[in-house]
Amino acid sequence: MINGMFDSGAMPTLERMIQFTGRRHQYIAHNIANISTPYFKPIDLDPKAFQHQLAGAIERRRHTGNPQRGDLELRSTRQVRVRGKSLEFLPAETNDGILFHDRNNRSLEHIMQDLVENTTAHRMSIELLKSEFDLLETAIRERL
Amino acid sequence: MFGTLDTTTSALVAQRTRSEVIAANMANSNAIQDENGENNPFRRRLAIFSTGDPATGSKTGVHVREIAMDPSEFQYRYMPDHPLAAKDGPHAGYVAFPNIDPMMEQVDMMEAARAYEANIMVAEATKSMIQTSLRLIA
Repeated sequence: MINGMFDSGAMPTLERMIQFTGRRHQYIAHNIANISTPYFKPIDLDPKAFQHQLAGAIERRRHTGNPQRGDLELRSTRQVRVRGKSLEFLPAETNDGILFHDRNNRSLEHIMQDLVENTTAHRMSIELLKSEFDLLETAIRERL
Repeated sequence: MFGTLDTTTSALVAQRTRSEVIAANMANSNAIQDENGENNPFRRRLAIFSTGDPATGSKTGVHVREIAMDPSEFQYRYMPDHPLAAKDGPHAGYVAFPNIDPMMEQVDMMEAARAYEANIMVAEATKSMIQTSLRLIA
């Protein structure tokens, strides 16, 4: 990473967000794949907990000497562990569905809602990151 | 992200297998004779799912663990003039029919079709996410 170029503004936040939504999508796909599997309990990552984790890291960067630049220093949580530059995800079993007679704890409507929300969050993060890259490109070309 | 497509594909394969099992049940719902000419009706089959995908060695996804036999009792219909009717015993005069309820099979088939559609939706979402990600470098 080139310091001051790819770690300024919202870029590190968006990078982490894309990592999170990409991984969460895998778990949602797994839950939908197992919609008919007996004794299956869905697994998921908590987006609110991750947003808190991200907000804490942004707040800490804000109190440094250079609040607009520098990598985000996330603190590990129960579901998202920080391993150097990468993140390790530990999804939890969710128990918010009705337990069906095949002991599957599915709730298709909730899972589909999560799928749509997560896809939208991923797309939004990519678009915002692309606009950051476009700004960089404009600055490099010195031409509008 | 490409691993997600593997997960979705495993579910599509499993649901299709389930549909095939249901189709076989429906097709054999009146099969009452075995290859030896005895009144030994077709026994209902069930696709049993389990998590994980042995095809890719992944812990995510789903696969058909086994095609199990439904142990429930056959349906007995009183047809004393039928050539396959039991001559003696507790079911004398009765003919055994498969333990298949077409209504149940139709409901199962609808569930399999809806689950298949839900997984197609996930595949579409995954494709759109990959395409959006590729726009970053394109």
